Amino acid sequence: MNNPNPHNTPGALEALQADIYREKILRARQLTVQQRLADVFELTNSVFARMHEGAMWQLGLSDPGEGWKVVRQRLNRLQKVHDEGRFVSQRPG
Amino acid sequence: MTIEQIAAAVIDACEQEGVDHMVTGAFAYSLYGIPRSTKDVDVVLSLVGGTPIERVVSRLSDLIAFDEQIQFDTLTWGKRQVGTSLSEPPFKVELFELFEDPFVQAQFGRRRRLFSEQLQRTTWLPTPEDVVVQKLRWGRNKDLDDARDVLAVQGPETLDMAYIENWCGQHGTTERLNQALAGIPPL
Repeated sequence: MNNPNPHNTPGALEALQADIYREKILRARQLTVQQRLADVFELTNSVFARMHEGAMWQLGLSDPGEGWKVVRQRLNRLQKVHDEGRFVSQRPG
Repeated sequence: MTIEQIAAAVIDACEQEGVDHMVTGAFAYSLYGIPRSTKDVDVVLSLVGGTPIERVVSRLSDLIAFDEQIQFDTLTWGKRQVGTSLSEPPFKVELFELFEDPFVQAQFGRRRRLFSEQLQRTTWLPTPEDVVVQKLRWGRNKDLDDARDVLAVQGPETLDMAYIENWCGQHGTTERLNQALAGIPPL
């Protein structure tokens, strides 16, 4: 018998999301400080590598340098979105 | 370069210039919440002794290209200087100048010393309470999620909630705090 699709039942979807979040919290509670820092380093380096691979694949690039240029452009664009309204170059009088 | 090498270089530059520092942003959040990746290394610099931020920037010039334009955040008017690593991947570095904001001063004064095995260096980070207060103050969706995560992972019963509530009252963010607490599922 197929499991019911939680997307069709708002209450079931919320319960599923709460379960996933609960598991993340409980897993994080088991980590030591050094493990947490190691995770940040590993995740960050890995994410940048995946962004580069993604740009190369999406645009059909063969030159890694061109791929990094695209990643830089995308990150700059993302930063502008995230920083919108948060920073200015002049402090008001 | 790796993010570890960038972080170590920033810490070394601060040490060499005798500048007290505190690592904030995703590193501070991940220490108390759910570890995640980041695009940047965010560091608050205490320039009370008169050491210009430019000297720290200059120390990093072989590794990081900083924007010439200094920026100010529109919430507290603190100074911020942004740089990007010259080598790939293009990691960002954001340097924030410690300034005369009561909360920012308190946060910096309460910072905790940490020896990182990965970096093989001693660095300084905010307390979990201060991460919560800061995130609630910034108030973007991601910040609110981060505040809830820190409260959830640490457990409100282990935190100095009176301290958090006091600053939230001063910042007008008590409702955000209540929503963050309400968002923690039964564990």
